[in-house]
Formats: sequence, structure tokens, C-alpha cells
Amino acid sequence: MNEPAKTFTLPDLGEGLAEAELLSWHVGLGDHVVEGQPLASVETDKAVVEVPSPRAGEIERLCAQVGERVKVGAPLVEFVGGAGLDKSADTGTVVGAVAVGSAVLHEAAQAVGRSGAGLRATPAVRAIAKRLGVDLGSVTPSGPNDTIIKADVERVARIYAETGPLEPLTGTRRAMAVNMAKTQAEVATAALFEDADIHAWPAKSDPMTRLLRALAAGCQAEPALNAWFDSEDMGRRLLKKIDVGIAVDSPEGLFVPVLRDVAGKTPAELRAGVDALMAAVRGRSLKQDELRGASIMLSNFGPLGGRYAVPLLVPPVVAILGAGRARDEVLAVNGEPAVHKVLPLSLSFDHRVVTGGEAARFLMAVRADLERAD
Amino acid sequence: MKTTVARFSVAYHQLIDEHGQPRGALPRISPAALRRLYGQMVQTRRFDERAVRLQRTGQLGTYASSLGHEALHVGLADVMRAEDVLLPTYREAGALMVRGVPMEQLLRYWGGDERGSDFAGPQRDFPYCVPIATQCTHAAGVASAMRLRGEKRVAVCCLGDGASSKGDFYEALNLAGVWRLPLVFVISNNQWAISVPLSRQTACATLAQKAIAGGIPGEQVDGNDLLAVRQVMGRALTRARRGDGPTLIEALTYRLGDHTTSDDARRYRPEAEVSAAWKRDPLPRLRQFMAGQGLWSAADEEGLIADCDAQVERAVAAYLATPPPAATDMFDHLYAQLPASLARQRAEIAGAAHG
Amino acid sequence: MAEQSTLVEAVNLALARALADDPTVVVLGEDVGVNGGVFRATVGLQERFGKRVMDTPLAENLIAGVAVGMAAEGLRPVAEIQFSGFIYPAIDQLVSHASRLRNRTRGRLSCPMVLRAPCGGGIHAPEHHSESNEAMLAHVPGLRVVIPSSPARAYGLLLAAIRDPDPVVFLEPARIYRAMKEDVTDNGEALPLDVCFVLREGTDLTLVSWGACVLDCLAVADSLAEAGVSAEVIDVATLNRLDTDTLLASVGKTGRCVIVHEAPFSGGFGAEIAALLAGPGLMSLLAPVERVTGYDTVMPLARLEHAYIPGPARILAAARRVMEH
Repeated sequence: MNEPAKTFTLPDLGEGLAEAELLSWHVGLGDHVVEGQPLASVETDKAVVEVPSPRAGEIERLCAQVGERVKVGAPLVEFVGGAGLDKSADTGTVVGAVAVGSAVLHEAAQAVGRSGAGLRATPAVRAIAKRLGVDLGSVTPSGPNDTIIKADVERVARIYAETGPLEPLTGTRRAMAVNMAKTQAEVATAALFEDADIHAWPAKSDPMTRLLRALAAGCQAEPALNAWFDSEDMGRRLLKKIDVGIAVDSPEGLFVPVLRDVAGKTPAELRAGVDALMAAVRGRSLKQDELRGASIMLSNFGPLGGRYAVPLLVPPVVAILGAGRARDEVLAVNGEPAVHKVLPLSLSFDHRVVTGGEAARFLMAVRADLERAD
Repeated sequence: MKTTVARFSVAYHQLIDEHGQPRGALPRISPAALRRLYGQMVQTRRFDERAVRLQRTGQLGTYASSLGHEALHVGLADVMRAEDVLLPTYREAGALMVRGVPMEQLLRYWGGDERGSDFAGPQRDFPYCVPIATQCTHAAGVASAMRLRGEKRVAVCCLGDGASSKGDFYEALNLAGVWRLPLVFVISNNQWAISVPLSRQTACATLAQKAIAGGIPGEQVDGNDLLAVRQVMGRALTRARRGDGPTLIEALTYRLGDHTTSDDARRYRPEAEVSAAWKRDPLPRLRQFMAGQGLWSAADEEGLIADCDAQVERAVAAYLATPPPAATDMFDHLYAQLPASLARQRAEIAGAAHG
Repeated sequence: MAEQSTLVEAVNLALARALADDPTVVVLGEDVGVNGGVFRATVGLQERFGKRVMDTPLAENLIAGVAVGMAAEGLRPVAEIQFSGFIYPAIDQLVSHASRLRNRTRGRLSCPMVLRAPCGGGIHAPEHHSESNEAMLAHVPGLRVVIPSSPARAYGLLLAAIRDPDPVVFLEPARIYRAMKEDVTDNGEALPLDVCFVLREGTDLTLVSWGACVLDCLAVADSLAEAGVSAEVIDVATLNRLDTDTLLASVGKTGRCVIVHEAPFSGGFGAEIAALLAGPGLMSLLAPVERVTGYDTVMPLARLEHAYIPGPARILAAARRVMEH
């Protein structure tokens, strides 16, 4: 089988004619033609004749110009090389053009479906709440499916009207709100109360330093209360140093600065340390570091008043000792009534990690230290 | 006992064979008319080739070539009157051009611009119809209106061999028959419906015989024989105009090009068949006939081709210079009056254009 | 001259009026001529108007396609499809051509045709004779869908549809064809298209509907009034193009909306109105929007029809639910 010729020359037109004028092309570059398809019209002296293609193929070159006189045997067209039809790319469509991209998708498995929740109130109701200054979170819904309806918002707005304006919580108040909520949610608070008979204290005793020393004595007797609880990893760290977070009430709110290494300080050093912290609180110059890392907490609320309390500790500490106002109390001493000064003690502890026994032993040690004369 | 209640026969008409030789007595036609008609056929061919090239260079969208159909399209349109209505498919460039649609409007249509269907010429002709055969029921509606009003007008419905398989065609055929509509169906049987050959399209020996199902006359004509097409069409139009009802004409031709410029017919057509079909090309046949009658010379051919190419180039230039349509055009011709609710959407797009 | 007419008689009056006033109007369809239409909507028309009222062969696609051709040629065809359940073969012509011809030719040709069909269930008919398919048609740009709910509105809206220069599908709820009579003045006055009708004013909630369900909404509004709830009732009438202003104004006033339609729930035209309310109407809403509709099932046969079609009880229950807000 012969390879089809690349170049097609003007064939013999018969009747001794040696050349013809090219009148027009019927094909263009790149056209795919079939055998017999007219390539051009040429004019001889006698007639206009169509020159059919000798083969199928793709036109690579038109070898003559319109108007040119082409000799028989001279090149007319050139085909793209190769036998048979050129297989040009299959467009894969019959109309338009379908773009082909080379991107490859790698899709991860996807979750299907989701459910939502949240406050239920229509936009109109929300708009009313906003206009009336009502926090939707404070509204008890009475509509179907716990939906807050217009009447609910209006009710709460009436209540607000009878109270003061909303005072946003900032700074330490905000922190207290956040921390206490957290404590309430996480800590298993248990409490134990006791009274310490302090009639043996010398005059001008400093209750704060005595409490700090007693606290240290309690920790030494029962180290389980000087510890941090990691609820996520379910573990506790018993701490070597006793760093006491001292609750301080101030106009700005509750501060809990930390006095470091209480066991290693003399009473004078303890006093100086507490004074420095108080000054820093009043002067608003407490550093962040001074508020962190307490191993146990102390709330001496006695100067303000009150006997017993259930103070809330802030994790990760596991205990907080509260001391109320000392008072004269009629006690039984050696079987006879006697009036002695008594200091009320309240111990709150995290029962997730501290047992009642540990708490009791701790508190007895604290009491014992406080009941000493010096 | 058995009696035959009906028989049928289908006639085939040809006047000039594929070598340009007359077959029997020819109808009278002036040399001027012959030259004009040949010129329109050549114009169609040159336009068509140019359109394909425009598509290949990305300046025209998908285009359906009419290569090989020139005699049929020019012939059927030539014998229509201006007041008649043509309902084409989407391949009859030659018919639309003869009816007065400028070439640049055809280019606009294929270029994706609706303004191409707002014909400058024949105001009542239907635009190109993409859903196959649906124009047949439209044609029945158009012819119904003509008949109701007692007008001497005819609707001419073009359809392909594939379309003759569709319900719309049969339904329209049936109505045309029972209502005696002034409607001529012209089936352009170019042997291929994309890649489906006639042998897989129908079991009918001819498409013309489908006329029997509508109770109307049907006949075949050599669609590549301009004179035969004109004669058969002319008779059908006269019948319809006289109130004698519809006719179905099956014009036999061949789709020398691909279905569209996105199609590649070499995937499914044997090359030998296509090569053989080129030998029945309507253009050289008519030219040889005219030359044989002493009516056409080489100089005529050269001059004609130059003229045609110049016309095509003017049309291409006009098409390429067409200012782009406004995005708001999408809204402006949906209803006679833009409804208020759409006005908002229109304003949005108008704003975006300037934003 | 007002006479008491049923809805189907009002249709007949409108057709006769249109045929009398405009020589380009023609009527075509199966059984519309000699038989006067299977519901008698075209009774007497062929006697009066002769060949302008045509019996066609049985072919819905043909009827719609012929209407397209006639309309393009300057007639105003009013074609009848015998039941909306048989409109499906005509959808090709409606969607591919009727709705597009003007746009396709940039206004050179247009398609002022009307396609009428009885729609909806509740007449104990065999399968396929009870369809509510307005949503799929209302989704077609360029195609209006109009549904009357009373004899007077049927008269006025059909005249408007016939006179409109663009195609309209006119769906007539079969179960209220003869359910009531109303004074209909045959004065040739059309009602406006693209407009909702506020049939009853109210302040507490808005009932939105079209077709036969409008009557149930009116009945429910009466019940609610007895209970001290003031309901506004709106007949949408033209689905595509929707009168959004009237709907938004109403729900802006009441804050609560119940949409009622016979067609299936998901993707029904009520969803379009609900989306409107969730969009520009959102800030007005006091309660979630309720849709009381047919279920997402095939329209059942006669035995279960009543369970499917939304009736006053279901509408009332929905109204009570929104009033809880």
C-alpha cells in the first residue's frame, strides 16, 4: 500500500493544456478534506473546472495564489504528512465547547447533616428586644418550643423599667463572675466549720500573721490541701511551697494576690509581705504574676463581719480557709462556764480530690496552731 | 374475503442529473434567472465556508454548515412569495438569504446574539428553531391563521430526516390534512441525523410516504437539482394558495459537512460514502449545465466568486463591528411591558454595568 | 347586565365577549366546538362564532404549538387543554417557544396566546384529572400563570389574559366551577394581572392562597373572627409575575402568615412566597411562616382525595399555631 503523497500537483487537464489559472480556493489551511472533495476551481481556455482532492487529509499549505497561472505538474496543495486521516482531538460534544481542566480533586469524607440550637426568637422579636434593651438571655420563653415571644420581651422590659440601668461587668467583677461560674460548675465544694479559742493570744496580736502561720501548720499536717487538681488529666500535684492567695476586698472588686512561701517567712516578713500586697491593691499596681500560682487560699473576712461562710475556691487550688469575726463566747472550760474570745473558722475544700478526713485533720491542725499563745 | 382499500406510490423528480445533463423537458427559465440562482448558491457556499472558518478562529460560536444543501435552500425560497412564511430548522442559510435576511444577521445568530433573529428582511418568517420538529406545529398554526383569514399565503415548513420521526411532525401533518391547510412541508433528507443514518431512523422506504398517514400528497425530488426543486415547490405552493391543501416534499440531498462545527462526522461516516456524495455536489452540476447552454464562462465564474467573497467580507466586517448587546436586553424583550417585579432585577444589572 | 354566574359560566361569558369584541380571537381545543367543552366552558360559542371556534384532533402538543404559530401570525388564540393533567405534552411548546418567542426575536415576533385548563382535585375524577402543576409553569420566565378563585375574577382575569400581549396559562379550579354563583357584569372590563386581591382585611394574621383554597381561607377567617382573631385574606391570582408589594404590606401589618395551596408542599409556589417573607419580609415576622398544602405525594385517587386536599380544619390549626406567637 503506497503512502499517500504529501504534495498534490495540478493534474493533467486534458486536451494538451499545459497550465490553468487558479480562480478560487474551496478549502483553507487546516481543513480536513476527503477524497473527491473540490480543492479549487481553475480556469482553462475552455471551462472552469474543479480540482478534486486525490486523498483524504489535512491541508498544510496552499501552493498557489488566486489569479496565478499554475502549470500542470506544479504543486497545488500540500497535505500534512502521514497516511490516512489525521485524528484530531475529539471535541466530545456536538454544540459549544466543553472545557477540559487538569485539576484533580481529593475530597475528604464529609459529615452529612447537622443540627442547631440556640435562643429561639424571630427577627421581629429580636428587634423589639434590642430596641427595649432587653437581653434575650434573661428572658424566660413562653412561646411554643421554648420560643421567646413578643409578650415575653415586653414583660422583661417592664421589669427593667422598675430597676436601674444595666451595669456591664468589667475588670475584676467580670473576672469574678466568670471564675465563680466556673467553680460552681466544676468544683465539688464541701465545707467544715470550727471555732478556735484564742483567749491565749497576747495583746496586739496580728490575726493575719497568726492565720497565715496556722495555715502553714495545717498544710504541714495535711499536705493534701496544699495541692493543685488537674481535672482533665485526673491528677493532683502536691506543692512543696505554700503560696497563699489572700482574698482582698476593694472598691474595684475582689482581688486575690499571692503571698509566696508562707512557711519560710518570719511573722515580720509575713506582715511586710501582706502590707506590700495591700498597698499594691490600693495603688492598683499589682502585677499579673502576683495574682497567679496560689497553692491554697485564705479569706479573712472577720474585719468585715460574719461568722461562718462557704467561700468558693478557684481551681486548681483545692482548699480555701475562711476566718470570721472573733467574738466573746461562753465556753465550757474544765466543766465551768468561762468567757473566751473565739475565732470562727470555715474550710471549703474540693471533695473531688480532698477527703473529709484530710480536711478535718487539716482544720484541727489549724485550730491547734491558732489556740497557741504564740 | 379480502379487498384492497388503498395503494400508494411515490414519485421522484429530477430535471438535471449529476453531470449537468437535462433529463427530459425542462421548464422555461430565463438565463438571467439561472445566473442569479447560481450566484445565490455560490454566495451561500462562500458564506458557509467563511462561517466555518470564523468558528475555527473563535470568532463565531457553534455553527451548522449547509454545505451541499445550496440547491434545495435557494430553490425552495426562490419560488416563495414575499408574503409567505418560512419556518426553518437551523441549517437553511441559503433560504434565509434569498428571503432577504442579511448575512451579518445570520452571523450574529451563530455568534450568540439574539439580534440576529430580528430579521431585517422577512418580518413574519420564523427564527431558527432548535427543538427538533417543534416548528411543524407552529407552521400548522401559521397556516391555520392564513386559512381562517382567507389569505392567499402559504406556510413553508422545513424539517430534517431526523425531525420526521418526531411527534410534532406527525401531529402537524395530521392537522394540515384534516384542516386542508396552506402548508408545504419540505423534508431535507440529507441522510444523517448527527450520527444516525436514515437506515436507523425509519423503516419507511421513503419519507415522502409519511404523507399518506396525514392523508396528503407526498413526493420526492432530487434536492441537489435546483430546477427540479423549483418546479416541485412551485406546484405545491400553487396548490396551497388555491386552497387545495398541503403537500409533503422529500428532497434528497447529502450533508457534506459535519452536523455542527463541534461534530466530527469522520467518527461515524465512511469516507468512501462522503467522497461519492461530493460527485453529486449541486454547484458544479448547475454550472456545467449553464456552460453547456452557453450561459456561463470562466470569466463569469471568476467575477462571481470575487463578488461573493466581497459581499461575505462586508458582512463579516459588519458582524465583527457589531457593538455588544446591553445586559439589560435580557429584560427588555421578555414582555411587551416590563413588569414592576422585573424592573428591580433589571435595575440591579444596569447598576452593575456602570458600577 | 349582571347575572348570577358560576365560575365556568363566567369563563364562557368572557370567551364570548372576547370573540365578539376582537376578530383576531379564536378558540381551539378538543371537544370545544360542537360539544361546548367537557365542562361546557365553550358552550354556544361555535354556534355564534363559527369557524373561529375549532375542534382540534387529539394532540395537546399540537394544540399548544398551533397556538404559538397562530399567535405569531397575529391571531389571539385561546387554546383549551382538557385537564391540567394533560398539559405535560404541551410544556415543550410553552417553555421552548411561547415564553421565548418575543425574546428570541427581540420583539419582532410575539406570542399573545392563552392556554386554559381545568386544574386541581376534589371532583372524584379518575387518575390524572386532578393535577395541580402551577409551580412548574410559574417557574418559566416569560410565561404568566393566572388562577381565578371566583366567577367575577374568572371573567375579569380571563379577559385580561386574552388581551395581554404575552402568553398566559389560565388554570381554572374544577372543584369550584359550579360551587357558587356570583354577580358577573358582562361589561368587557378586565381585572389587572400581576396584582393580588385583598379579599378581606385583618390585623392579626394573613392567609395567602389561590384557586379553590381561597374559599376555605375565607371560611376560616370567619371562624377566627368568632374567636376574636382578625385574619386578612389574600388571593394571589397571578403567580408569575407575583405582586410582592401587596404581600409584604399585609405581613408587614400582621406579622403572621399562613400560605395555603393544593399542590405538593416541597417546591410548591408557596415556597416562593415564604422565601419572599424570609427575605424582604423578615423583619416583620412575629411567627414562623406556615404552609398548608398537599403532601409530597402523588395526588391520590378519589377515595383519599379529601385527606390530601388542605381543608378548613388544617388551615385553622395552622392559624392557631401562628397566633401562639
